Order: sequence, then structure tokens, then C-alpha cells
Amino acid sequence: MVKHRLQRNIQYGILVVLGLCFLVPLFWILLASFDTHAQQGIKMPNFTLDNFSAVLGDSGNLRSFGVGIILSGGQATLVVIASVLAAYPLSRYEMRFKKSFLLSILFMTSLPITAVMVPVFQMFLYFKLQNSIFATMLFLTASSLPYGIWMMKSFMDSVPIDLEEAAWIDGASVWGGLRKVVAPLMLPGIATIAIFTFSGSWGNFFVPYILLQTPDKLPASVTIYQFFGSHGLVEYGRLAAFSLLYTMPSVVLYMFSQRYMSKGFSMGGATKG
Amino acid sequence: MKRKSRGAFLFLTPSVLLLLIFFIVPIILTVYFAFTNMALTGSAARNLEFVGFRNFTNMFQDPDFRISVWRTLVFLIFSAVIGQVVLGFILALLMKEKNVTFRRIIGIIVIAGWVTPEIVVAFCMVAFFSDNGTLNQIIGWFGISPVSWLFSFPMVSVIIANIWHGTAFSMMVYQSALDEIPKDIEEAATIDGAGNFKILSYITIPMVKGSIVTNMMLVTLQTLGVFTLIYTMTGGGPGTATQTLPVFMYNQAFVNYQFGYGTAISLVLLVIGIVASLFYMKSMKVKV
Amino acid sequence: MKTNKLKVSMTAAMASLLLLTAACSNGDSGSGAAAEGKEEVTITFRSSGSEDTLTKYFESGLIDKFEEANPDIKINIAPVLASEGDYTSKIVLQMKSPDTAPDIVAEDTSIIKSDAAAGYLEPLDTQVAGWSDWQDKFIENLKAGVTGEDGKIYGVPATSDTRGIWYNKELLAEAGIEVPFQPASWEEVLEAARTIKDKLPGVTPLNMIVGKSSGEGVTMQTLEMLLYGTNDTLYNEETKKWVVNSPGLLDSFNFIHQLFNVDQTGPSMQVALNGQAGSIAFQQLFPQGKLAMAVDGSWAGSTWFENGAAPIENVADKMGFAPFPTQNGQEPGAITMSGGWAWSIPAQAQNKEAAWKFLEFLMNQENATARVVAEGNLSPRNDSVDVAGYTDRTFVAEAQALLDVAHFRPANDEYATVSAQIQSLVESVASGKLAPADAVQQLQDNVTRSLGADKVEVK
Repeated sequence: MVKHRLQRNIQYGILVVLGLCFLVPLFWILLASFDTHAQQGIKMPNFTLDNFSAVLGDSGNLRSFGVGIILSGGQATLVVIASVLAAYPLSRYEMRFKKSFLLSILFMTSLPITAVMVPVFQMFLYFKLQNSIFATMLFLTASSLPYGIWMMKSFMDSVPIDLEEAAWIDGASVWGGLRKVVAPLMLPGIATIAIFTFSGSWGNFFVPYILLQTPDKLPASVTIYQFFGSHGLVEYGRLAAFSLLYTMPSVVLYMFSQRYMSKGFSMGGATKG
Repeated sequence: MKRKSRGAFLFLTPSVLLLLIFFIVPIILTVYFAFTNMALTGSAARNLEFVGFRNFTNMFQDPDFRISVWRTLVFLIFSAVIGQVVLGFILALLMKEKNVTFRRIIGIIVIAGWVTPEIVVAFCMVAFFSDNGTLNQIIGWFGISPVSWLFSFPMVSVIIANIWHGTAFSMMVYQSALDEIPKDIEEAATIDGAGNFKILSYITIPMVKGSIVTNMMLVTLQTLGVFTLIYTMTGGGPGTATQTLPVFMYNQAFVNYQFGYGTAISLVLLVIGIVASLFYMKSMKVKV
Repeated sequence: MKTNKLKVSMTAAMASLLLLTAACSNGDSGSGAAAEGKEEVTITFRSSGSEDTLTKYFESGLIDKFEEANPDIKINIAPVLASEGDYTSKIVLQMKSPDTAPDIVAEDTSIIKSDAAAGYLEPLDTQVAGWSDWQDKFIENLKAGVTGEDGKIYGVPATSDTRGIWYNKELLAEAGIEVPFQPASWEEVLEAARTIKDKLPGVTPLNMIVGKSSGEGVTMQTLEMLLYGTNDTLYNEETKKWVVNSPGLLDSFNFIHQLFNVDQTGPSMQVALNGQAGSIAFQQLFPQGKLAMAVDGSWAGSTWFENGAAPIENVADKMGFAPFPTQNGQEPGAITMSGGWAWSIPAQAQNKEAAWKFLEFLMNQENATARVVAEGNLSPRNDSVDVAGYTDRTFVAEAQALLDVAHFRPANDEYATVSAQIQSLVESVASGKLAPADAVQQLQDNVTRSLGADKVEVK
């Protein structure tokens, strides 16, 4: 028993050390955001909120945050809806080529987005979709669907089929079974995929930058570049303040979905194929 | 069940349409461009020509390409496989059955790096590793003189940055996988006198094998595409020290404007992704 | 039944999705559509954010003034917020289609030849021929920067810059070097650096950009500043071939080798190879008195102005800007590399006539000068010096004088490839990994492999 307690304390000790390691890189951004003369090095600032008021006082910044939330939020919603729908038949029915189809789509995500963007832009020009926030959202949706479907299918595999069958016997349709029985059980998974998608595209610079043309349609991931002046002069203080605010939506979303999260990430089901 | 299946297949329609229009078509175009002389500017931008395998033969003769493949593999193995997958597993394992509040605090700290957008991660890390940055302050307390991390240990720096950013995902995957292992199995093994290590290797790991392989695959595919982080931190340098394939590809396609050549390079990433995934499945004997 | 209903609703949902996409895209695109019967002119340039000086310049009454005089034209500004590299990628994509092409675009002189060769830009020869200012008022040297490979004019130079040696007057005086510093040859530059090393330990004598991560700056600010002061050049305009092996190239690499490895009077490798080497030098080392000299652009001194990143009081007394000498002091005694931005009209632009009208207005004496004053750049017009306030700015007179000895990069579509090779070779030589002679050999081998043997020559 003594040995056991010692072991536990060692484990707590290791965790504290690891936690600290993950914490220290955040110090700079916290300190610099309160320092109007921030540099790359770390130093104690004369605490001031000037950086924040400068960033928040600019209506362009607020606008870009709004656009970002519409873009990434809309995308996350579409990904969840489309992948729940797609995961259902993939999880519940035997289909030929199912696995190879899923895998090849998944593999395509390893292509760097910078390489894919030029053809996408040409396609957008062809369909006259350039400068459309909605079309950009659809492209972002499609590009995160492979992950979304893959993860969603794994979650769905771990929901027992008996429950739906019971619902069918009670006269529910396939749609009804999915909506009333499966989806509620999968809330953790859905939250997981939503936040995964949201944080992924919230920081995406290249896609909106290439596909959107008018300045007032650009999201925060593009406007963050305003702090890099010409010839490598960086406004570190404001950049840090902006970054801190910029991280907030993901953090809030995470906090909000925390209660679903702990159960949300098992992908053991994926192996049952 | 058969009876219901026809309707259910319609569920695939939105995804298939979206993927077809916005994902598969551009990727087919990308693959096609890899066999052309496509350039973003200059006289070659005027006339697109099919050049067969010329981009690929150039690529294999280019010493910078071989270096980039090597850098990519190093970055992948250390930051994804060893870093995120192993560290994430250790974190999840240690956090198992710990005090709830404690678990939550550590969890949030680790996850902070994950929800932070890549570009912000890059800045935090540049500042962290800078000459009078946080890391040098800390080692200063132990009497070690400052090190120019991004110059002397560039690869290590970007690997640490990527681990900091990515580990939370693996941790969460393993946390819920470990939660699903019935408690009595491990308890029974303890009573039978099995040591911690034995329980881990004979019971715990085999039971979450599926999660491990799936997670390794997703983490690998994502790590192969990491660009913003490296480009912002080091620009691929000093020299070619951190020039992974996405950075090399970007330089060819958007700095030298040789877009056809750039896409040819990006196809190599695709091959690496496929080979790595198949390797995981084979070696862990898991069917996905 | 249920299944059918589902099928119908799914189809309807997909159809509306596509409709919505199409609807959203209507009316958003590009320029050119006549609003309120006016011709619209869209002007695109790189912006550095909400404090962008160029955006402010347009918005501070300039456009109003033009629109008042030309009631049938409406000017839209469409700044692109991005790094310089991303800006270029964006505009080359935009200029491909009439739907996205602006009517006037800011082109970096490093890419203008390439974009002209790609057919993205409209030749402006007829327009400039009918514009008397072009003949009389624009500095002749700068026209080379906007001339395409085919000899046609593809833009009007709007800003310019020069490069030279920034130095700390106090440190040089302390080391016993005559101020103002006027080196007459490379040897005198190296000698000054050695003197500083001997007399002032702890001070970096001479900073030059050599880290590959600093990109194009390495080629332009270091290698070409040296090479164009020898009797050789990088590109033979007559044969249209790259000169990949010449005595001048060898001497240039030797200078770098001498500075960094033999005399060890260059910056430490940590600073030199840092992507931010320029900012470190100007924001930290110079103000702290830890750096005596640096080869850099004419804009760099504005770092020390009152509103700059690292203000220095009485900066004109403490810092100086000297011309970079030719190798042995041969004519014209000093040289500089020049860059800068130009205004061009895309081939796919919708309202080219109105665009040119605005361009002429933009580049008249008053407006052209107002911009460079606001941005801290040099003017391409020789009559800017007559405008009050232009030469009053610290360091401008020195920098402006250098325009007469300015060279431009041979920035055609192969330039990026050659420059990338030069960047890594300069870094290798500076860090002692490669001997100068081997660097020249490798330049020859690598460029020949990339561009083909018919594109290179040896001198």
C-alpha cells in the first residue's frame, strides 16, 4: 500500500512537470499583450490595456472576427450535418469498396492545402464563385469532410444497433432512428468533430486569402497579418493582444463542449470496420 | 435491414456532392498540373504544356528534394509518432483515475496549445526560443548560458512546437479509449500479481490498439501537411535545416512560381502518407 | 412513404444549396460594372493593416479630388493585406481573369518583367509617349526597372530605394575613422571593419545579410551590391544569358569569405542566419551601440525616427549613410541596387482608359511626392526635390543621390531560380562551409541544371 501511494505521488509529480512544460510557452503572449513595447524576448511589462483597446477599437478587426465566426462556425455546422448523414450508411451497411473509398479520401488530406488552392481558385473563377463567403465555406466544409466522416463513423460504430432496431419496430423510419436514437447518443462525438473543425479552419489563412477578394470579407486569420509592417517590423504587443483574443472563440467552444468531450474521443470503433 | 437501405444511401448524397465538387475535382487538377510546366508568372504562364514526367525527373535529381524528404521524415517521426502519440498516451495513462479537478486543470493547459491557431503557436514559440526568451531565462536559473535555439537546434525547436500544438488531440483520444477498458480486467490482473508494465503491455495497449492506429494515422496525415508553423518559425532554415516537403513545395510553387513542379512535390507527400498509414495497420495487425 | 419524403427533401436541400451558392456569388465579383453610370477603377496594392500609409494616402482627399475633376469616374481601393510574397501570389491569380483583375495594380519591380512575359500586363508605350512628364521628369535610370524583356514599358515607377552603408558616426570616430565615412574601394570597407574590430571589442564591425531565411535580400543587398561594383554583371542583356561564372562573381564571394571567415568582422552566425537579421541590426544592435556598419536599404534608417520602432534622439548627428564603393574605385565610384514599386494596368482590366487617367493624376509632381514622403521612400521623379519637405527628411539627400548610379535586378522569369541558388551559396560561404571558388562552380552547375545549358554563359 505504501508502495502504491508512493507510485501515485510520483505520477502526480510527473503530471505537474508535464503541465508546467505545456504552460511556459504561453507566458510570452500573456505578458506581451499587456506591453506596448513588447519585443521577442520575455520581460515584465508596465501593465496597460492599450494593446487590447487598440485592437478592439478597430471596427475592421471586430468585423474580421465576425466573418471568421460565420465562416468557421458555418463550416463546422455543415461538416457535422453532412458527416452524421454520411457516417450512418457507412457504419450500418456492408458496402463494397467502402473501406478503400474512405481511406483514399482520407489520404488525400495529406496534400498541402497550398498546392490544392490554385486549382480551386481556377474552379471558383470558372463558376464565378470568387469572393463568395458561402462558397468558401462549402470548400472548407469539403476539405474537412474526410476527417469528419472518418471520425463520425468511428463514433457511430460504438453505438449499438439494437437501439435503432427497437425504434424501427416501433414504427420509426431510418431517418427517425438516426435523429431520435443515434444522434443524441453521439453528442460527445459531434461536439468533438465540431470543435476539431472549427479550430482547424479558424486559423486557416491561405484558403480565405485566395478565395475572397474584398477586404471587408476577410476573416481574422487573414487580418492578423496587419501587425507585420514592411521590411520585417513586427508590432509584437498588438500582435499578442490580437492573438490572445483570436484564441478565445476556440477556448470558449472547448469549455462549452467540455462535458461532452471526455467520452467523445474514443475511436476504438474504427477497427471494427 | 436490407429493406431500409435504399433510403439510407441518400444520406451520402450531400457529402459525396461536396467532396466531388470541392475536393476531388481540384485534387485531380492538382495531379494533372504535376505533369505540366504550369507557372504562376513568366512566359510559361502563358502556355500550359504537358511535360510528362519531367517535373519528377528534375525532382529526383534535385539535392534539395532529397534533403526535404529526409527532413519531413525526421519531423514526422519525432513530432508525430514519438512526440504526440507517445506523450499523449503517457499523459492519458497518468491522468487515469486521478483527482477530477487536477485532471481538468492539466487537461486545459495541454489543450490550450491545441486550440491555439497555428500562426499564434508559431509566434509563441519564436518568442519562447528567442535569445532572451522564456526558455533561456529558465535555463539561466540553472546557470546555463543562453542558447540560440532556432539557430543551433532548429529542427528540435519546430518539433517541440508541433508537439506542444498537437499532443492534446492524442491525449483526448487515449483518455476516452482508456476509460472504456472495464476496471475489473486490470484489477484481476493486479490480484494475479502482474506488474504495472505487464498490465500495460499485455492488457491495456492491446485493448486500445485500434485507437492507437487510427490516431497515429490521423496525426501522421496532419503532420505531413504542417506548413504555417515551420514557415513562420524558421522559413525552412537556417539553410535547409527545417525545409520539410510542404515548405519546399511552397518555395517552388509560390516563391519561384514553378507551380507544376510544386504540385509534383506535393504528390510525394501523398505517397508518404499512404505508405505510413499502411505500415501502421500492418505492424499493429489492425484492420481499418 | 417515409423514404420517399426523405428523398424529396434531400434533393430539395441539395438543389437549394447550389442555388444559394450561385446567388451569393452574383454581383460580388471584380470591377468594371458601371455603377450609377460611372466608370469604376479598382486599384490594388499591398497593405500592412489599419495603419497602412498608402491606404491613408488614398483616403486623405486624394480620391475625392480626382473624382471631383472627373465626375464620370469612380475610384475603388482594394488593398491586399498580406506579406510581400503572398501579395504577389494573390495578384498573379487575380490578373488571370477579367472577373478579378483590378484596373490598376501595384507591381514590385522584382516581378514586373515576369508578369509582363506572362501576358498579365498591358504595355503602356502609347500612353507614356503622350505624357510629357515621362520624358522630362522621370529619372531615366529607373525606367529600366519597368521595361519588359520585349523592350516595352509595363508600368510607371512610383517609389524607389537605394542601398548603402549605414554607420554609427560615434563608433567610427572612436575607432579613428574619418567621418563622414567615404570608402573608395572594397578594401577600404574591409580595412575600416578590421580597425573597428581592433579598437572596439564587443562591437560588430559590419553587418551584411547572408542568411537564406532573409530571402531575396541576400541576393540583392549582398551579392549584387558587390557584383555590380566589379566589371561583371549577373545577366547579359545582349545574349539574354545568365553569367554564372566570372571573375566578378569570384571576387564577390571572396569579399564575403574575407569579411566573415578571414577577418571575422561580420556579425555572429546567430544574428546573420536569423530571418529577422535586418530588424535585429537596426532595432537592437545599432541603437545599443553594438554595431558599427551595416549594408542595408535607404528605408532602414526610418527605424530610428521618432515614430519608428527604435527611436534615437538627434539621429542625424549619430548615424550616417555612405555610398557603397565599387571594387577598386572604378567609375562611377559607387553603386547601388534599386528596387521599389510601380503602378501597372493589367491586360484583363476593364477600364483601361480611365485607369490611365487616374495613374497620370497619381504620378503628377505633387501626388507622387506626397506618397514617397508619407512612406519614407525615394521618388522616381527628378522634380520631387523641388517640393517642400522632400529633401528635409533625414538621410534622403544621401539616398537620393545614389539613384544616379542605380542598377536593377535582371528580374525576368528565371531570376527567382537563380536568386534562390545565390541565397544558399552566399549562406554557405559566409558560414565557412564552402570556399568561394567552389561556390562559383556550384552556381554554374546548379543554374545550368535548372535552366539548361543554353541559358548560361561563362566569362
